[in-house]
Amino acid sequence: MTAVRALPVLGLLTLIAGCANTRVEESRTANTGLGVDEAIVILGRASYNDRETEASFTECISRALSVGDNPIRLIPEDQFKDQLYPWFEPRTAPNSADDLARLFAQPGVQERIEEARVRYLAWIEGDTVTTDKGGSLSCTISTFGGGCFGMSYWEEDASYEASVWDLQNLTTAGEISADANGTSYLAGLVLPIPIMARPGNAACKALAAQLRNFLTEEEG
Amino acid sequence: MTGFVCNRPVLLTLLATLLLVTACSTHVVVQGSVPTPLVAKIPARVGIYYSDEFRNFVHQEKIDQEGSFQVDFGDQNLSFFQNLMDALFSPAIALDKLPAEGEPLENLDGLLVPEITRFGFLTPDISGLGFYSVSIHYRLTLYDRQNHKVTDWTVVGYGKSESSAFGSNKALSDATMLAIRDGGARIAIEMSEQPAVRKWLETLQPASGARP
Repeated sequence: MTAVRALPVLGLLTLIAGCANTRVEESRTANTGLGVDEAIVILGRASYNDRETEASFTECISRALSVGDNPIRLIPEDQFKDQLYPWFEPRTAPNSADDLARLFAQPGVQERIEEARVRYLAWIEGDTVTTDKGGSLSCTISTFGGGCFGMSYWEEDASYEASVWDLQNLTTAGEISADANGTSYLAGLVLPIPIMARPGNAACKALAAQLRNFLTEEEG
Repeated sequence: MTGFVCNRPVLLTLLATLLLVTACSTHVVVQGSVPTPLVAKIPARVGIYYSDEFRNFVHQEKIDQEGSFQVDFGDQNLSFFQNLMDALFSPAIALDKLPAEGEPLENLDGLLVPEITRFGFLTPDISGLGFYSVSIHYRLTLYDRQNHKVTDWTVVGYGKSESSAFGSNKALSDATMLAIRDGGARIAIEMSEQPAVRKWLETLQPASGARP
């Protein structure tokens, strides 16, 4: 009965989301615009060091761009990499737009890209890291029941950059960066109650919104 | 209801044992897409011999504190290499058996034998990173028409995949598939750049002059 009474309170508490501060910056080097049926590909920059762009982040950007009033046609990353194998693998992918001309000289590459009507590549680079954490939360469970008491927190910093390459002009169209940070809390009041800041999600939404504006702006 | 209360410790013990057994044994069958490489074909009629070990590669390893691991390449490695070789050579012909040593090849410009010489992986607990990482050492040995060894070289494919709380099997499978792809990409791009392969190709020019 007590648990039933506590449910609305818990529901309200979980709705309290932690705050995430977001900052977006854009640097444009060329005019952009998307023609009918033209598509973009969102690619996560992979590396073999200890950090790389999370697949969940590029998926979040893709989801955000493919919905809404003005959805953008997206080619899934895996499909694009398969169609252009072996040229977009972690160790063979072009590092800058200057490498595009060399890549387009490879047999079949330009034809495949034109066939799929891919106009832009957006390389996403960055990650979310925990910069601070503390507090104390302990949970116990026994045959008589259990519960959690205390509070812990962690601060995360999400920093991502999208580099947009124009495959028609073989140049860099511009760069957009999104930084977000916030502190999440996990409070133990018998049940663990999360209050999440989700800076990664905030950075994704901000970057996707800016990227949409960047790409769909009319060519000047 | 009484029966349930009496049996609860037994059930909990059984559940805990089951969890422990499951946690200590990881069996992965590698899955993934098999892309066709987009590369210029090498104008040579090459026989490819895939040994049984290569066709059915399985890696087994026991790691202290982590349990036993079995990584089964399934059909992925063979399918991947068949696609790769078909895209690389004009044409690639799969051979059922290895031609006898020193015996000239019949109706072939060369013979290529791929092998897996080493497989290694790191779990997030070992590396301290949030990834499963895999490395595969492939050795490729090329023979000429006279069945004399032209060259052999090793290509190392790397792959890594994010781990999740209940997705270690998938992460290890994905990392292995990425390592196969990485190795395949290097072979596809670097094969014709090998100095010995270039020399071998030059020897084929007169014979392959009639080829388109």
